[in-house]
Amino acid sequence: MASFQELVSRYHQKVYMVILGLLHNRDDALEVAQETFFRAYRKIGSFEGGSSFYTWIYRIAVNLAIDAQRRQKRNPLDFRETMDGVLEAQEETARDPFADVHDRELRENLIRAINELTPEHKAVIVLRTIEGLSYKDIGDILGCSEGTVMSRLHYARKKLQDKLSAFL
Amino acid sequence: MRDCESIRQSIGRWLDGELEAPESESVRAHLASCAECGKAQQQLESIQQMLKKTLLAEAQQIEFLPFWRGVQLRIAQRTPWHEQALDWVRATFTLSRAAWLVPASIALILAILSLESYVPGWREGRNSFASVESIDAYGRNVALLRENESKTTVIWLYEDQEGENETADEPAKSAPAF
Amino acid sequence: MRPLMNPRNQLRLFSLVLILAAGWVGAAEKNPQSVQVTIRTILAENKSDDFDPKLKGMEQQLKPLKYRSYHLLKAEDQNVPAKGTGSFEIPGGRSLTVAPQEFQNNRIALKVRLTERDKPVIDTTVKIPNKGNFILGGPPHEGGVLVLSISATAQ
Repeated sequence: MASFQELVSRYHQKVYMVILGLLHNRDDALEVAQETFFRAYRKIGSFEGGSSFYTWIYRIAVNLAIDAQRRQKRNPLDFRETMDGVLEAQEETARDPFADVHDRELRENLIRAINELTPEHKAVIVLRTIEGLSYKDIGDILGCSEGTVMSRLHYARKKLQDKLSAFL
Repeated sequence: MRDCESIRQSIGRWLDGELEAPESESVRAHLASCAECGKAQQQLESIQQMLKKTLLAEAQQIEFLPFWRGVQLRIAQRTPWHEQALDWVRATFTLSRAAWLVPASIALILAILSLESYVPGWREGRNSFASVESIDAYGRNVALLRENESKTTVIWLYEDQEGENETADEPAKSAPAF
Repeated sequence: MRPLMNPRNQLRLFSLVLILAAGWVGAAEKNPQSVQVTIRTILAENKSDDFDPKLKGMEQQLKPLKYRSYHLLKAEDQNVPAKGTGSFEIPGGRSLTVAPQEFQNNRIALKVRLTERDKPVIDTTVKIPNKGNFILGGPPHEGGVLVLSISATAQ
C-alpha cells in the first residue's frame, strides 16, 4: 500500500488534469480521478510493465472519463462558473487590464470550443497539450494507431483555431 | 518550395516534434519567412499554452492527502474482505520479513526440541497414557483401566467370582475394586 | 547491498538451512540400540494395611487397585536389545518376556507375554511413553494378587 500511495502522490495531479480537460467539471473530475486510482489499485497485480505506468493509468483515466462524459448531463457553462475559482487562485502579476479580460474571454471560449469536440478528439488534444505525450503513447492510451492520433489532432486543432480566431 | 496549405497541415506535427529532420527544417524555414503561416503557428501555440495553463492551475489546487483519503475510502468500501485480508498478508509478510521468519522458525523448532532436556516428559502431555495395541488373554477375562491422575494404564486379568479363591479371612479378590 | 544479503538470497539460504535442520531432527529420532526394561513385581493383598516404602512414587498408580497393602517382591532391570527379547522370572512359576518393537514419537512399543508353567496367560502389545510404564496385574499369589509394573527407557 505504501508504494501505491507513492504512485498516487506522483500522478494524481496529472491524472486529474487530463480528466478535467475531458469533463470540464471539477467535482466529476475529482470523482473520476479517485475512481481511476481505485481501479488501478485493484488491477495493479495485472500490470505487467509492458507499457509505462503513466500510459497504463492514463488509459484507465481516459476510459472512465469518456464513460462519465456520456453520462454527464451538466451544462458546459458550469465549468465557466467553477473557473472563477481558478482565476482567483492564479498568481497576480502586473498586467495590462485589457490583457486580463482578453485572457478570460479566450479561456472561456477555449473551454466552450473544446467541449464541443467529440470525446475522442478532446482526449487527443488534452493528452498532447498537457502531457506532451508522443503520438505513439497517445495511441497506446486510446487504443488507436499513430495515424489516427495525428488526424484527430489535426482536426481538433483546426476546429479550435476556427472557433477562437477572433480571440487569438 | 511547399505551399502554405501544405505547411499548415504540418504545423501541428512540427510543434509536436513528430516530423523527420528534413521536413521539420523545411517547415521551420517556411514559418520564418511567411507571416500568415507564422500567425497560424502562434495561434496553435496560444491555444496549447492557454489550455495547459488553465488545467495546470486547476490541478495544483488538488491537495494530495484529501485525494488519497478518497482513494483509500473506495478501496476500503469496495474491496471484498478476502482480498483485503490478502492485501494485509502481502503487506505484512514482505520478502525481507519472510527471510527473517525462516531463521526465527529454525530457532524456535530447535528450542522446542531441546526443551525435553529441561522439562522431561513435557511432550507427552495428554498423550502420556500407554496405549494397548493388541491383547490376547487366551479366553481369560481381562479388564483395561486408565487412571487419569497418574496417567496409568492397567491391564487386569481376573477370574469369574465363582472361580477358585486362595482365601484367608478376607479373600483377596482377584478382581480389584476399580 | 551485497548479493548474499538481499532478501531473496536470504530466504533461499535460510530455507535450505531449515530443510537440513528438519532432516537432522527427523534423523535424530533414530531407533534406539536397546531398551532398558524394569519389572517390579508387587504383591497386592488385603491382609494388612502396609505400603512398602520401596514402592514410593507409585502410590498414585496403585491406589485405583484398591488393595490395602502393597509389597515389592522383586525389581529387575535388563538391557534388552532392539528387536531382542528380555525374559523375567515372576513368582508362582511364571515368566514375563518383553520384546521392544519400535520407537516412534518418543514412544516405545513393547510386545509382552506372561506365561504360567510354560503356558501363555496373556499376550499384549503396548505403546508406552519413553521412560513410562504400564501395569499388568491379576494373577493370584499367596493370598493376594501379583501386580507387575513394566517400564522401559530407550538407550
